[in-house]
Amino acid sequence: MAAFDMELDARGLNCPLPILRAKKSIQSLTSGQVLRIVATDPGSVKDFEAFCKQTGNELLETMQDGGEYAFNIRKG
Amino acid sequence: MGFRCLTRGKSGLTKRLKASERKAAILAVAKVLFSDKGYHGVSVDEIARRVGVSPAILYRHFPSKESLYEEVLNQIACKRESYVEAVVQSDGSFSEVLRMITRRYVESVSRDPDYLRMELQSALEGSDATRQFFENRWRPFTDYIEVTIRELQPTGKVQQTDGRIAALMFQGMLREALYAKCIFRTPRYRELDLNELTDYLVTLFFRAIGYREDND
Repeated sequence: MAAFDMELDARGLNCPLPILRAKKSIQSLTSGQVLRIVATDPGSVKDFEAFCKQTGNELLETMQDGGEYAFNIRKG
Repeated sequence: MGFRCLTRGKSGLTKRLKASERKAAILAVAKVLFSDKGYHGVSVDEIARRVGVSPAILYRHFPSKESLYEEVLNQIACKRESYVEAVVQSDGSFSEVLRMITRRYVESVSRDPDYLRMELQSALEGSDATRQFFENRWRPFTDYIEVTIRELQPTGKVQQTDGRIAALMFQGMLREALYAKCIFRTPRYRELDLNELTDYLVTLFFRAIGYREDND
């Protein structure tokens, strides 16, 4: 599993909250740093793909463990 | 009640449909019928007749009326609105995000009034699971409003308010606007179109919770 610089716990939250929190967290990172988000909303898989596409950040990895999803996003 | 004709049973066209097309035709007709008459008001025979297939063929695709209804709901679930664009384009404030996700939802639902009718029908007769399904469609609003009010309260940007109740009242107002404009087509609110009405109710909501849109 890739290393990350900041972790965001978005478990139990539904769209748009995980995306909103991720957007705020990424603002505090510098280019090249990695944000890891853990979420439970199955819709977050599509949402974070779309988020990265629209913001120019890179979705490095999407992981699933039971009902939890983790996303590693590198700030562009 | 006026049914919209989706396929013509006697034209022979449906006989040439591929299995996947036939399945899609069954789902489309079922959605219109369930939305007009409710789950209990529609029989498998009627759906089959409207599609122009025999009940036996319908059962080949869907083993029961329940499974057909579930599949109609699944299709709705797959078309879940995406609020990513709204969040990315907004400044992240309560004011902008709530306005943008509300517009996005209204835009999507007003294109599909059958969905709203199904929601209304389910409120009267649906199972708990079905009611839950429709309630979940509102969760982006209720969760977002509740969590944001809770976070803003210590900063004094909103009044002491029960976030859950405020969120549900917002949901009720938005439902009223959608039902009035997309289903009942009543003359109430005639001076406003749906988008203006939606914007107005978001403004009313912010005022009610004591949130000033320029202070976030």
